[in-house]
Amino acid sequence: MSLQSPLTDPDPQTPMLELDHITCGYQPDVAAVRNLSLCLQPGSILCLLGPSGCGKTTTLRAIAGFEKVSAGEIRLQGQILASASVHLPPEQRRVGMVFQEYPLFPHMAVADNVAFGLYHWKPADRQSRVQALLELVGLKSLEHRFPHELSGGQQQRVAIARALAPKPLMLLLDEPFSNLDPEMTVKMRKELYRVLRQTQTTAILVTHDHEEAFAMADHVAVMQDGVLVQCDTPEAIYQQPSCSFVAEFIGQANTIPGVIHNGHIETEIGTFPNESTFQSNSRVLVMIRPNDIQFTPSESGSGRIESRQFQGSQTLYAIRLQSGQLIHCCMLPIPVYNIEISVNVHVTTSHTILFPQPALSEE
Amino acid sequence: MARQARLTPLSLMGVAIAALLTFPLAYVTYSAFTGDLSQASNLWNTRLPELLTNTISLALGVSLATLTLGISTAWIITRYQFWGRAFWDWGFVLPLAIPSFVLAYVYTYLLDRAGPVEHIWQWLTNSDVHIPSPYSFTGALVVMTLNTFPYVYLLARAAFQNFNLSFEEAAQATGATRWETFWRVSLPLIRPALVASMFLVVLYVVSDFGAVSLLRFQTFTYAIYQQITGRFDYQSAALLSLLLVSFALVFLFAERWFRKQSRFYQTSGRVRTATPKPCSIIRGLTINLFFMMIFMAAFGLPVFLLIQWTIAAWANGEVGTSFGTYIGNSVFLSAAAATAALALGTPLAYLASRIPSKLHVACLQGAYIGYVLPGPVAALALLMLFTDMIPILYGTVFVLILAYLIHYLPAGLQAMESALQQVHPNLEEAARNLGAKGIRTFMQVTFPLVRKGFFAAWLLMFLLCMKELPATLLLRPIGFDTLAVRIWLEASEELYQLAAPPALLIVILTIPAVFLLSKKNWQAG
Repeated sequence: MSLQSPLTDPDPQTPMLELDHITCGYQPDVAAVRNLSLCLQPGSILCLLGPSGCGKTTTLRAIAGFEKVSAGEIRLQGQILASASVHLPPEQRRVGMVFQEYPLFPHMAVADNVAFGLYHWKPADRQSRVQALLELVGLKSLEHRFPHELSGGQQQRVAIARALAPKPLMLLLDEPFSNLDPEMTVKMRKELYRVLRQTQTTAILVTHDHEEAFAMADHVAVMQDGVLVQCDTPEAIYQQPSCSFVAEFIGQANTIPGVIHNGHIETEIGTFPNESTFQSNSRVLVMIRPNDIQFTPSESGSGRIESRQFQGSQTLYAIRLQSGQLIHCCMLPIPVYNIEISVNVHVTTSHTILFPQPALSEE
Repeated sequence: MARQARLTPLSLMGVAIAALLTFPLAYVTYSAFTGDLSQASNLWNTRLPELLTNTISLALGVSLATLTLGISTAWIITRYQFWGRAFWDWGFVLPLAIPSFVLAYVYTYLLDRAGPVEHIWQWLTNSDVHIPSPYSFTGALVVMTLNTFPYVYLLARAAFQNFNLSFEEAAQATGATRWETFWRVSLPLIRPALVASMFLVVLYVVSDFGAVSLLRFQTFTYAIYQQITGRFDYQSAALLSLLLVSFALVFLFAERWFRKQSRFYQTSGRVRTATPKPCSIIRGLTINLFFMMIFMAAFGLPVFLLIQWTIAAWANGEVGTSFGTYIGNSVFLSAAAATAALALGTPLAYLASRIPSKLHVACLQGAYIGYVLPGPVAALALLMLFTDMIPILYGTVFVLILAYLIHYLPAGLQAMESALQQVHPNLEEAARNLGAKGIRTFMQVTFPLVRKGFFAAWLLMFLLCMKELPATLLLRPIGFDTLAVRIWLEASEELYQLAAPPALLIVILTIPAVFLLSKKNWQAG
């Protein structure tokens, strides 16, 4: 059996997975997932990214069949898995899942865990399939061990092998690295990436860590409060976040209020050319990454250093502007500037991202 | 995550089982209030004052006595290191292996007029003074105390073992003596355990039939039995039963409430627990003497007498072939009831732990009804139900097995529930995700993981059924005697030797169940 295609060969013309305006939960206002649409092409990896409680795990469980869909449709290679009236049981969906705690069956050895989904296979086929997968994840020598005799990383490899064994059409992974220590996380991330690419597996990976998402994914879907706010390539998400939530969630970002005047954006820390379609006089938020801001000490400076955080290759300063606005900027670690000194802030880029300023509430 | 309840076939099965278990009590309630209610006022004027006084005073007396015995033994065992400690540590659980009616029958012999205890007393005091008769409050108090103090011991021991020593040290640092510390800090802090054990003891005392009937002490259970067998007055029996059930219900809810309150007492973070301190030889001997007296009274002496009587009965050729029949009857009934209970309990426990909708939790709660149905009440309920509705089944083993099932399912259900809760639902979801259907998931994943817990549940229910007395007396097919029934019948006639072989057999069989019980986590709250 070739390892190059351990999964069922998908039809490359049809999208692998389509989420078509799905809602999970019965009360529309507080549903865990609302009106979510996504499309995944065969062989690609998507990361569902968002803070805890944003509905990303619910989305994953809805695809696997552990949550019901109250509106919309989930299609796998064109076949309807779930809708308001259809609910294909989890065991018939052919969607593999690696759970957060990788629940390995504690009463079965590694090989039996991997073979669990191969119940209806001929014994000889089952045997060779298990061997091939253990080889794929590098656990050939441990097939007779029991789950409690394995390290966290080894348990995860078994969980991945077990999920891939029955040749699912695609793979779901729920926070796969959250139970590992940081060192092991980096190692397993590379390992998982290799396995997914080598087997050309279509996968959805749920995470709250944007670095993990950037490292693994072809596309990143950011969720907030049950709603999909942006789905794009990692580069696009980082460079052109669609709103201030995304901008701040995927890394340190300053959002500074500004007003558009005569084709320029005027803010407290400078004026920038307006490259957007915002009308004159509209109030906007300008996003500037800390790396794009520098300062020079000056007696008459308009800002004051409030805190300093040494980060190794750079130092992150928090500067309080006269208006009370706090901004962050990254500087070389040397020289060291003391807290409380006055500084002048200047922006080193002309490229800015603008968001509409939320209307002030009347309260 | 809240899930929508769906009426699956399994849910419907759960509802049907819960209905089967709760219907008898509902029927008794209905029958108690239909018909001539003048019985009720008659009952109120004649029997009730005595029954209430007796039942409540016995419950209070046994509570106080078991607290004293249980706390002192638990304290000494957790705090002192002495020769023999390892033996006493589990030795005080052994009295639970003696059914109350066996202990009662041994004590009717020991405390009887001109019995061994009176002889020793008169010889010691060189007088003709009589000791209190066993057929009295004192007799019931002694027997029930010796029979139930291990519950207090188990709970208090667990509490003292997990006790945070820093509290005592803080008290002593403020100048409190050890005695003051014990009363003002240690005891109040293990109050949840004490209250929980009191509920256990009181529930046990008010539902016991075997001991009070042999000691002819009039409590509710005994009175209900007499109304049924002596006067065939089912309505009065039903009214008394309802009173007893409400009493037990109040206790059950009070216990739940108190358990919630007691969460505040638990300390979080790191706990420094006490290590037993070595003590002098004199003190060690005193402790051993004290413990030996309790142990002999509650277990050693009764078992010694049973062995002696059994040997005598054997030598006289009084252990005939019928003994084998009784064993067969007991084993058949108990195995059938335990197996049926496991089969009916599994869907209830599974539904409540996996899809905890209101309906499923209610079904599970319904199955716990046996807790508040003392044996005679469960028997009365089925008796009335079957004579009125399905008379053809009345007097068959089917009714008896159903009575056992209702009565002892709660004990097994607890073990089943905790076994199921230890299997994370993720495991089942993983199996489903790998293509396994519901039934295969249960057989290959869930069941292998709960097998031990389920076996323990089966064994516990089996052994409890082996000891069951009042329902068996009231519902057994004619001539279908069990070991427990034989003990009671022979003991009622004061035929001590004849009652001994079945009693000894039950004690020996029950010891494994007692060890299961002692391994359980007894931490209150």
